[in-house]
Amino acid sequence: MTLQIDTRPIWLILAIKSLRPIFFLALTSLFLYFLWMPAPEGLSVEGQRAIAVFLLCLVLWISNAIPLAITGILAIVLVPILGVLSNKVTYSLFGNEAVFFILGAFILAGAVMHSGISNRLALYILDRFGGSPRGLLLTVFLLAAALSFIMSEHAVAAMLFPIVIEISKSLGLRPGKSNYGKLLFFSMAWGCIIGGVATFLGGARVPLAVGILKETTGSDIGFLDYSIAVFPLVVILLFAGYMLLTRIFPIDITEVGGAHGVLKKRLKALGKLSFKEYAVGAVLAVTVCAWVGLGEKFGLAAIALASVVALFVFRLVRWKDIEEYANWGIILMYGGAIVLGSALDKSGAAQWLVGMVIGDFASEPWAALALFSFLSILLTAAMSNAAVIAVLLPVTIGMAQTLSIDPVMLTYAIAVPAGLDFMFPMGTPAIAIAASSNYITVRESAKGGFVMFVTAWVVFNLVAAFWWPLIGMGYK
Amino acid sequence: MKKILLVLSYPGFSGRAIDEAVRSAKKEKATLAALYLLEAGAAESVFDKFSDIGFMGDRPAEDLSKLVMKESRQRGYEALGKVQIKAMEEGVDFEPLVEEDATVEKVLSVIDKTDPSAVFVLKKKQRAFFKYFTRSLADELAERVSREVVIITEEGDQEKEDSNVKDMDRK
Repeated sequence: MTLQIDTRPIWLILAIKSLRPIFFLALTSLFLYFLWMPAPEGLSVEGQRAIAVFLLCLVLWISNAIPLAITGILAIVLVPILGVLSNKVTYSLFGNEAVFFILGAFILAGAVMHSGISNRLALYILDRFGGSPRGLLLTVFLLAAALSFIMSEHAVAAMLFPIVIEISKSLGLRPGKSNYGKLLFFSMAWGCIIGGVATFLGGARVPLAVGILKETTGSDIGFLDYSIAVFPLVVILLFAGYMLLTRIFPIDITEVGGAHGVLKKRLKALGKLSFKEYAVGAVLAVTVCAWVGLGEKFGLAAIALASVVALFVFRLVRWKDIEEYANWGIILMYGGAIVLGSALDKSGAAQWLVGMVIGDFASEPWAALALFSFLSILLTAAMSNAAVIAVLLPVTIGMAQTLSIDPVMLTYAIAVPAGLDFMFPMGTPAIAIAASSNYITVRESAKGGFVMFVTAWVVFNLVAAFWWPLIGMGYK
Repeated sequence: MKKILLVLSYPGFSGRAIDEAVRSAKKEKATLAALYLLEAGAAESVFDKFSDIGFMGDRPAEDLSKLVMKESRQRGYEALGKVQIKAMEEGVDFEPLVEEDATVEKVLSVIDKTDPSAVFVLKKKQRAFFKYFTRSLADELAERVSREVVIITEEGDQEKEDSNVKDMDRK
């Protein structure tokens, strides 16, 4: 047995060990200070308390000092205890339609992944269309995007990662050195990110944003309406992303024959398409059609949950299988975010915050849209995109009411850019997965991602200015 | 017989770094033990990310972690293979070692076991700014190992393979 002796200076060891307790002590002290200081003019006591809880959750969501879900629970605990909302109202908010839609979407995505249909589809498409280096690259890029239309972008990245690794190895691409290797992994990650904002299903952030919007204003955004509004953004970003990547990393191989050998081998190993794969694919297709056609009539959550019931009635999945594919804890975060948003709105804190902090900078609708979309895309580089929505959206909706802007527009301004972090792994698991391959580095990701960050923000605002009026959503 | 330990703490190191270690082993008539450190933390951080922020449950995240570890291990074997080929060419005895966890403690325990006369360790060249905030494994080893430590500093840019070795410090 060897005795390990820490040879660092004692002050350094003590400082490191006491960092966490000092952080929580300072945070608690600040929280109590905000609670007990006299309420500023124009702000109710409930509003002041709601802001204190908001700031506490903001720091915890950014710092990740405790899991995101636990911060969500903290919001649910503090809001009724401090008398901002009653117990009954607080807990009823957790039963929001958005939470159940996300739950249903998680289960459906779990079933799709467990059945293997998504994997088979990916292999088939890559084998069918990736005949040349450029073709294979484009197929990876578009496939990642297209799959993220119907599944969580993180799940798509995790599913494609082993395939892309095998393709890279079969082509003899050297980690960190091959341009084509970098291109494949960037295409996978960026495809997932861009595709993830195209529909409600690419991530839970859009349903969460719509849930907060509905809870505070009564307005709603339909499944198809959302996709139509962001369609040009997705197309332009896919084009810009592909062009940018192939400029930064010129293709340095001439043929991809080896990749097809691997893809064919993998497809062969899967055997014939099973009944379960057919059936789960059919349930998903019917569900998406129902969301598009019947979403407004029956509600998105009801359709999602009906499909979940169908999966179990036809014994297409077992609960045990689904359990392994979803992160249930994160649902608590969404519930907490909706409670926090409602607390800020109902206590008048959101509108007060808008007047104090943001009002002077964004007095025109276009400026408000530009400012909030910028804040959203900036914050998402450092924190979870759902947390960005929880933090920004309640204030934004308050702004909409103050400036007589359609709150639906500002909901887009937060929800869409919140999914467009191309730079850092901490904000986007798809980038983290790609970086873990060692084919790309965080520095390369930050460089290329910064250009996409600016492009995404500019294109979003251009789409809002020129496309939205054509579909009846322009500035008032 | 004398032994020289070459610590490979990251992938993508240059051929010249291996040359230096093999040359020294040949000169000293020593066995070259090459230690490849697997970065288990990288896979775990991806797993944590998915647990705390992502949408997925344990299974996809664990599959991903395992895959990343498998890849890292495979690259480790490839790296050791390169050293072995070079050692064979120069007629130097070779001993491969693989350990999970790229920490100083792990290297110290290997040093205790193998008892080398000198330790060759690779170090990526850092920008001056970052030197104030992070300490490399090489620097820590130089401080804590009571035998000769040779630090081979390389440029971070892996494309410049042939001119990668910047300098060698003996401590």
